[in-house]
Amino acid sequence: MNPLELGFMQRALVGCVVIAAVAPLVGSFIVQRGQSLVGDGMGHVAFAGVGVAFLIGADPVAGALAFTVLAGLLLVRMGRAGLAGDLALALIFYGGIAVGYLFSSRANAGQSRLVGLLFGSPLNLSWGQIRVIVALAAVVVVVTAALYPRLVALAFDEQAARVAGVPTDRIVLALTLMVALVVVGGMSSIGLLLISAMMVVPVAAAAQLSSSYRTTLLVASGIGAVSALVGLLASYYRDYAPASAIVLVALACYLLASAWRGLNRRWRPSISPR
Amino acid sequence: MLSEVAPRTSLPVLELDDVSFAYGRTPILRQVSLCLHEGEFVAVVGANGSGKTTLMKLALGLLRASGGRIRLFATEIGTFGDWGKVGYVPQRATAMSALPVSVEEVVQSGLAASTRLFRRRSPAQRERLEHVVDLLGLTPHRRSRISELSGGQQQRALIARALVTAPRLLIMDEPTAGVDADARGVLRDSLEHLVNVEGMAVVYVSHDPEAFAGLAHRVVEVDGGRVHTAGQDRDVLAEVT
Repeated sequence: MNPLELGFMQRALVGCVVIAAVAPLVGSFIVQRGQSLVGDGMGHVAFAGVGVAFLIGADPVAGALAFTVLAGLLLVRMGRAGLAGDLALALIFYGGIAVGYLFSSRANAGQSRLVGLLFGSPLNLSWGQIRVIVALAAVVVVVTAALYPRLVALAFDEQAARVAGVPTDRIVLALTLMVALVVVGGMSSIGLLLISAMMVVPVAAAAQLSSSYRTTLLVASGIGAVSALVGLLASYYRDYAPASAIVLVALACYLLASAWRGLNRRWRPSISPR
Repeated sequence: MLSEVAPRTSLPVLELDDVSFAYGRTPILRQVSLCLHEGEFVAVVGANGSGKTTLMKLALGLLRASGGRIRLFATEIGTFGDWGKVGYVPQRATAMSALPVSVEEVVQSGLAASTRLFRRRSPAQRERLEHVVDLLGLTPHRRSRISELSGGQQQRALIARALVTAPRLLIMDEPTAGVDADARGVLRDSLEHLVNVEGMAVVYVSHDPEAFAGLAHRVVEVDGGRVHTAGQDRDVLAEVT
């Protein structure tokens, strides 16, 4: 049977492809700023929000969104105060996952539901969840397009950007909030622990194939979308865990791109710049 | 040669009056005063850790002074908003990038603050971009990855980024560190053009007097948290040679 004729597969494809195409847009900026693990940490914080939502009977998406946005604001304030060191971030992020599991257990959320949120359950997406994913992704795309030159300046050299008059504090805040939106958008489809991989791995793959930042960003978005498509189809035919398959396809893209670049370097005459 | 003339009739672009700065309880700069006019090239020298980079960061608003006044273009630095008038060239280490970045993108990033939302650059901005890329001899490399260029070419890309807003004040931090002799020559020619033809004021931070020989109108030395005028660059060169 053609999987594209099945309603659950259609929803899974839309939900995964949209968020996997958008995640690298944000990821390219956090990778360039040397903050590749921020998405992972935000996933931990989002889990705390989910746990609290379960406990009070609220929507898990709303809980995750509230907690990640608050964490984003806190991180930016800590950064301004010079407190956003490695240890401080670790305390917040591990505290998040501990709180999330504690509250989820108290609320009897159920192991399968928790595993679905941590590792994704795209085959169970409803059209209502798809609408949320598309809305969050649209916000990320619009903000990225609007702020692109400022985000690029910030990512290249924050001090030079500040001297040039870029309001770096506000741009850092916007970037952090976009990370939060991607994490929440990817929560139901790719999972809180794996969505950060889609912010980083397609970017790493695209960087092997591109010579400019803009191309890297666009190619990474394409690799994200293709990884979601191929990963989901593989999971349908081979009965793999869908989110894991998506991330592994993205990793395979990285390995292929690295091999391609390596071969290209060997074949190409060496450059001796003046 | 620039060092023969030190213009003083023009407006001050940078003024530091009795500026002090301390990291915690450790004083770094004590009651430092410095004034720079349009078209003036001032070299700042000093040993490593003497406070010259701190002085530069104070002038750029990246650090807040614990005492004294800093004015840019006759405006208190706290309220100064016309940052397009100020160009900053950091040390070349910042040209290292985790992701591929083309020379053109690095230069364009200097326009970020003045580019409207959704990335529409004005014809004037595009023209200025072409001008600085050409001025610094980067036209053949504009689409190249910056990480694949030589140290001198990377440095020129950072200078082009600082110049793309047509600043009136250019502050450079060790711009020739790790740069070969050919690239130094191109940089000297570019700076001579900027100061002589475009009337730009330049603050050139370096521990190497050879780097600004024949260019500086004035040389100031940062030592023991204070700034001393060391004279014209030939005097300083005479001292070290």
